[in-house]
Amino acid sequence: MTIDELKKYDGKNGAKAYIAYKNVVYDVSDSPLWSGGEHEGEHHAGVDLTEELAHAPHGSEVFKELPVVATLEGTTKTQEDRSDAPQPLKSKLRAWYKKYHPHPATVHFPIALHLFATGMDVLFLITPTKAYALGVFYSFFVATVMGFVAMIPGILSWWINYDFSMARAFVIKLVVSIITLLLGLVALAIYYENPHAVYEYSLEGILYHAIVLITGLNVIILGYYGGKITWGYGKNKTLTEENKEAVSVAKHEKKVSQNSSSQSISILIGGAAGTGIATLEKILSDAFKASGFYIFSTKEYMSRVRGGSNTTLIRISDTPLQAPCWEVDISIALDGDALKHMQPRCNEKTIVFADETFGEKGDELILLAMKESAKKFGNAKYANTYISGILFGFLRIDKSFLIQSITEHFKEDEVNKEVAELGYEEGHKLENKSFEKLPNTDNELVQKLHLMDGTTACGFGFLAGGCNMITSYPMSPSTGVLNFMASMSKEFDIALEQSEDEIASLHMVLGGWYGGARAMTTTSGGGFALMGEALSLSGMSETPAVIYLAQRPGPATGLPTRSEQGDLNMGIYSGHGPFPRAVLAPGSLQECIDYAYLAFELADRFAIPVVVLSDQYLADSVSMIEDVDFASYEQRRYSVKTEEGYQRYAETKNGISPRGIPAFGDGVICSVGDEHDERGQITEDYKMREQMVAKRARKKSELIKEAIVPEVIGEGDIAIIGWGSTKGSIAEVLDNLKNPRLAQVHFTWVYPLSKEQLQVLKKFSYLIVVENNAEGAFADQLKLHDLKIHKQILQSNGFNFFVDQLGPMIEESLKEIL
Amino acid sequence: MSQLFDKEDVDVAWCKGCGNFGILKLLKEVLEELEVKKNSTVIVSGIGQAAKTPYYIDANMFGVLHGRALPVATGVKLSNENLCVIAEGGDGDMYGEGGNHLIHTIRRNPDIVHIVHNNMVYGLTKGQASPTSQKGFETKVQVEGVKNEPFNPLAVALSLKAGFVSRVNIGDAEHAKEVLKEAFRHHGYALVDILQPCVTFNKTNTYHWFKENTYTLDKSYDAGDFEGAVKKSFETLPMPIGVLYKSRKNTPTFEQEIRGEDAKALHSVTHDIAKIQELFEGY
Repeated sequence: MTIDELKKYDGKNGAKAYIAYKNVVYDVSDSPLWSGGEHEGEHHAGVDLTEELAHAPHGSEVFKELPVVATLEGTTKTQEDRSDAPQPLKSKLRAWYKKYHPHPATVHFPIALHLFATGMDVLFLITPTKAYALGVFYSFFVATVMGFVAMIPGILSWWINYDFSMARAFVIKLVVSIITLLLGLVALAIYYENPHAVYEYSLEGILYHAIVLITGLNVIILGYYGGKITWGYGKNKTLTEENKEAVSVAKHEKKVSQNSSSQSISILIGGAAGTGIATLEKILSDAFKASGFYIFSTKEYMSRVRGGSNTTLIRISDTPLQAPCWEVDISIALDGDALKHMQPRCNEKTIVFADETFGEKGDELILLAMKESAKKFGNAKYANTYISGILFGFLRIDKSFLIQSITEHFKEDEVNKEVAELGYEEGHKLENKSFEKLPNTDNELVQKLHLMDGTTACGFGFLAGGCNMITSYPMSPSTGVLNFMASMSKEFDIALEQSEDEIASLHMVLGGWYGGARAMTTTSGGGFALMGEALSLSGMSETPAVIYLAQRPGPATGLPTRSEQGDLNMGIYSGHGPFPRAVLAPGSLQECIDYAYLAFELADRFAIPVVVLSDQYLADSVSMIEDVDFASYEQRRYSVKTEEGYQRYAETKNGISPRGIPAFGDGVICSVGDEHDERGQITEDYKMREQMVAKRARKKSELIKEAIVPEVIGEGDIAIIGWGSTKGSIAEVLDNLKNPRLAQVHFTWVYPLSKEQLQVLKKFSYLIVVENNAEGAFADQLKLHDLKIHKQILQSNGFNFFVDQLGPMIEESLKEIL
Repeated sequence: MSQLFDKEDVDVAWCKGCGNFGILKLLKEVLEELEVKKNSTVIVSGIGQAAKTPYYIDANMFGVLHGRALPVATGVKLSNENLCVIAEGGDGDMYGEGGNHLIHTIRRNPDIVHIVHNNMVYGLTKGQASPTSQKGFETKVQVEGVKNEPFNPLAVALSLKAGFVSRVNIGDAEHAKEVLKEAFRHHGYALVDILQPCVTFNKTNTYHWFKENTYTLDKSYDAGDFEGAVKKSFETLPMPIGVLYKSRKNTPTFEQEIRGEDAKALHSVTHDIAKIQELFEGY
């Protein structure tokens, strides 16, 4: 659409109302804020509002909820230049401003003096003495001069922090301060002309006193609105109330259409357990990847082997994605229960495919003869293959990629190809208005990427870390890593044993490290609870341990197959008595590899337990990762060859005693769970006890030095803080919101926190913590370090954060704190 | 008497006359006579008076938590099959707190010697009943005497097809030494249940009582007969002493099954990075 064409859509005389912003045309016809094609009586529909937005009291976030109708062609360069990104000078000034706060620092002088002058003047009017008159004048004089001084940083702040916003508070402040300064000059002029006028009942006298009294009132107004700008319009809450308050998901079931904002298509496939959804997911993922799309997929499944309703979400996109959405563009129900199960995730635009036997005429469904067609080929299971054909035909994607993927998956069963071909033909016949334009493909780049889930990435990280022993008790959702390592034990020398319980798992790990292995265990919350004492033994005996803890919602059995970040506190505090440990929480495939490797590195170097926190969502979600150079993961080993007289707990400056292993050298290794002396002999000597406590504490100090600062994405002054698996969702939401004040702060090293890590947060004006749990365990960790958390966004419904739900939650939070 | 495995400067925590002294002496002598190297011997022990034994022996040791010696010992053996691994503790430690590990360690069959000091009482916690306490044994907790059936470690071990099952009485040190040596020579899991008195908290099951209530299996007894051994294991008072069962089959051990013959110690096992790279690129 060109600018001229846009003009027709001015919302007048029954015409649609369109507006343009940054080359995108939005439909505002249905917006109550744009009735009659006008907004706030100032802005008119049918034009490009890119420049106007800079002066609006709101940001570009308002466009998120509007339907996109077209792109604007032939826009001028000046419009593009007006990017939301802060200029370097401005951001430097902003940093400077945040450090010195020149406006608040100066503005209190004129306020106090004006109020002082007003007070003195009231006294003067009651008892007109010279002393009072002089008091009024001098204080008023200094107040007026200081008023000018305070206004300069005030205007600077208005520019660098608020982009000359014309919101009500700023307009009021501006008008009132100018009036105050002008009145001040008038009053000073009166006094300068005739100091005696203040005693007279003349026009000058009355005006002088009126000004002094009014300016007192003015500074109160200025202070009030200054406070509102800084602290927001929030209700009066106590600190604790504010911190405790959390946004729950139920409040935000807002309808956000996915196709309006991102170049991605979301496809939800639902069916009973054991009907082959996982296979369908794999076929489609590989076929979409071969077609050149970026892919993200995730699943939710019930804790049962057969039946129920499970779903798989596949998103294809023109940019890398690592997050799920709640509402979907296409929904495919493999059975009637799935149709119902997926209904809440469909909106009016969602295309729903279902078998003809499930839907009724009149429903807004596309009914297909899935079962019948499959049966023609002799097996109901072909329905999945048929659907993959329908989907590719409907979306008009090159058939060959699908056939190639199917051939790879069903090497021996040639029938699948025929079924897919038939599905493709049927799909192609269907009218497709919604997806005339698919996300752009980027074949060259996409083919270089690797498609895997978090489980596999963690597995590769553990391999890179040199894991050569794993002892575990199976528990969802951690079992994937155990399976992965089991499959790798055919390729590498890995000793693997399924233990009788989690107590044995971690004790075997400790035995393994003691004997020289690089050992790990995998578990989830309930199993990790059983490992508490062994974790403590690892701490006391200074025997390394790596624990992969894939979280699921508790307490007790909780939701065995669903996701939550509920075990951070257990990771940090489990085990009796204090001892150093590290807790790492990766949030992307790359981080899974890096931090799984790091877990072995830290465990070995510091002789401590290291917990790698994952969760069902991260473990089971499939996304893409670039090439990884495994040669760059250094294979360091910290155990030493011992000599006779070796002492396992020898005193060292940093608390780390060289760790020997049996039969490697002539020394004997005495590792102990009791308190011990340097050689590892039981002791109850109080001095030795304090010496050993101090030694372990020094290890913690040394460990903290290694803490990795959180990744900061964006330059805003409001930190959206997350840890672990929420990384992708927060990133996509902030990308969509395009609010220059927001920045993502992602913690992967979650415990112990270092000063450097916390320093990163001190640069921000506001801290909002997003966590997938009910109590905000990570925010609590930050609070322990005296950080003020302005808002917590929490969820505990068994899912990860969906981008179309987290976006509104963040916006809501911003409204409350700003 | 040799002092090869004596540890210097230690403060022994046992009561005078404790059966543990006999077992400590026995173990040090056996290790020396079998010419085991101290730097390749690992004694893993749990918690209890018996579990303090390795603190008084100059060899590698890992003093772990109550009941957990077996899984730790299994992990040690898995990491390096060339180590001579011993799991040692008392009846409460091994048969009570660590009962589940006992079952599964026997099933796994790692090549370890499992020494259980069986004094039928809890010493460290000052005199409560243990899993092997005889019925009617009165303590401050079991004030009306023990009601539960005593745990039968030999029958349990045999039911799980342990390859070497034995019981000795420390009152007969010479005999005990022979059996313990045989346990060390056995390839696979070997249980040695050592009857010993607790001179402080068990005034019932004394040296004298053990002498009266045990009899030594003579040369006519066939330790290779599994069914006979099972029958023997259910004999209570008097209890048979000696090797109840010794498998004639050369069953592969846990570490052999998992890692194969002559596996490298995991200490020196690193992965081929190029292979990791190649497998990663298959995704």
